[in-house]
Parts: sequence; structure tokens; C-alpha cells
Amino acid sequence: MTVFSIVALTIAVWGQRLIGGFAIGPWLERRPTLSKAASLIPAAVVMAVIVQLTVARGRSLVVDERLAGVVVAGVLVWRRAPFLAVVLSAAATTALIRAVAG
Amino acid sequence: MSGEPTAAPQAGAPRLSIADFATMAITFFSLAVTLQVVLIDIGTPPLRAFIASSVIFSATSQFAYLAVREAGGGEWAAIIAGTIVATRFGILAVSLIPRLPAGGFRRVLAAVNAFDPNVAIAVQQATPEHVEREFWRTTGGMMIGWFPGVAVGTFLGDVLGDTSRLGLDALFPAALLAIIGNLLRTRDGRTAGMAGGLACLVLLPIVPAGLPIILSLSGVAVAVALSTEQVGGRTS
Repeated sequence: MTVFSIVALTIAVWGQRLIGGFAIGPWLERRPTLSKAASLIPAAVVMAVIVQLTVARGRSLVVDERLAGVVVAGVLVWRRAPFLAVVLSAAATTALIRAVAG
Repeated sequence: MSGEPTAAPQAGAPRLSIADFATMAITFFSLAVTLQVVLIDIGTPPLRAFIASSVIFSATSQFAYLAVREAGGGEWAAIIAGTIVATRFGILAVSLIPRLPAGGFRRVLAAVNAFDPNVAIAVQQATPEHVEREFWRTTGGMMIGWFPGVAVGTFLGDVLGDTSRLGLDALFPAALLAIIGNLLRTRDGRTAGMAGGLACLVLLPIVPAGLPIILSLSGVAVAVALSTEQVGGRTS
């Protein structure tokens, strides 16, 4: 991360709570459709980040060991496994397949 | 051990038990370690990675930024991606603030510390005093895990070496999946997630790096359009 991005994201992350909570919030509360849309933003955007990290290399689509690890993580999240179990299983699956295949 | 303090309300509102407190601390500890290892693995100097996670204190924002940068996206596109995923903190603050005891300073102090787990537990309390107390107890559990995790992760990231051999590139998306797990459990959350993910998949080879993540916002429109839930329910 660059120093600039650290400063920018710190302001963005902490500032949004104040702007969201005290300025936009009361306005948004009176607009149910918009406020519902706002609550769904993380699902859509974080999922896009997950897709990018799982099947992309730069701008090309690649299916490799990462996908297997993320699928395992998905199953464990669905079954409400603890965070540590989810991430360790994902890494172990990917590492194992990589070791066997490579 | 109960993995989810927000479920199973026994006598009235859910309180954070010692086991829940420990689970919260361990979760944030692991999350911080994961983030530090990834940050250092992609070339962030350890001291800078340590400062970044201590002051930004948002794994999703940092992961979103890194994902765009790793794909070759520009600095601004990456910062915008990191900012968009943090909009949820503003929304969490909205549902928390009116439930807190009156008092500008106390409300501001709580609002700037709004995260997913502490707000989820706090808003289920019956009185403003209980809301505030459970909010800070949960926040304490998170912070007790986070900051030592940042320190340990910075050290580990520095000594690990070849991390792809350890499958650490899968750890990064897996951590994000765990963070939004509860949101994906709701029908609308799932629709938004699938639409956003699909939009990113289709756009990836076509548009410049960074844009697929920003344009995945279209998944929100799809979810709202397809939603059968009655609009007007509370967002919390």
C-alpha cells in the first residue's frame, strides 16, 4: 500500500461513519428503497473482489488451485465454521493441490 | 463454544458471554494476521503495513484496494473500491446512533467505532444503556484480538517467504467470504452477491482493471429489482 492510499482510506473508512451516521443517515432512513440498496452494497462489491481474487490473473480469467480453496471456504462459511477454520482450510486445500499437481 | 453471539437469545437480548468474547478476539486476531501476511507478501514494507492496518482498521477496505492494485488497476480506482466496501460502516452507524443514550460525544465515539459484529449485538439490546454497554464490550473483544494480530502478522509476514506454496493467495478471498457470510445468508444479500460477482466475472477481461469491482455495484440494482421482501422494513 502507498502512503497516500493509507491516508485516503483512513479518512474514507472513519469519515463515512460520521457522514453516514449523522448527515446522510436520517435522510436515507426516510427512503426505504435507497436504504435497502445501500445495505446490499457490500454483498455485491465484496463478492466482486472475491471473484477477482479467485479466478483472475491481471485481466485474464484463470481456473487454478485458488478456486478449490475458495470453494472449500464457501462450504465452511455456509456451515458457520469459525473464521480461523475457514481461512486455514482454504489455504491448506490450495497448498495441497499445488504441491500434488506441481 | 458458541460461534455466533447474535443467535440464540436466551433471557431477552443476547449478551456477550466469555466464550463469545474469546471467539470475537480470536476471529479478529486471525483476520489481522491474514491481512498483514498478505500485505507484506505483495511488497508492502512491514512497518508501513503495520501502520496501515492499525489506522485504517478495515480488512475489507484494504483487501478491496489490494485486489484492484494486484490486477494492475490505478491508485484512484483502488481507493474508490476500498471506499465503496466501507459504505456499510456508515449504514451500521445509522442503525446504531438512535439506539444509544443521548449525548453528542458518546454517540460520536460509538459511531466511529461501528463494525459489523458490535452493531449486530448492540442493536438487539432493550435499553439505551444496555445498547451502549454491549457495544463497547464487543468492541473490546474485537480490539483485543486485532492489534496483537497486526503485530504478530507483521512479524510472520516478514519471515514466511514463498507464501503461494502455503496457499496464502486463497486465504485472502476466503477471509472476505467469511466476513460477508451473514449477509449472503439473506435472500437479497445472496442475489446482490451473485449479480455483483457475475458482473465482475463478465467485465474482467473487457474493461480496465478496477472497473469490474466498481461496476459490480450494478448487482445492487438487480437485487433491489428482484426483491420480493416488502420495502419499508428496517435495514438493521
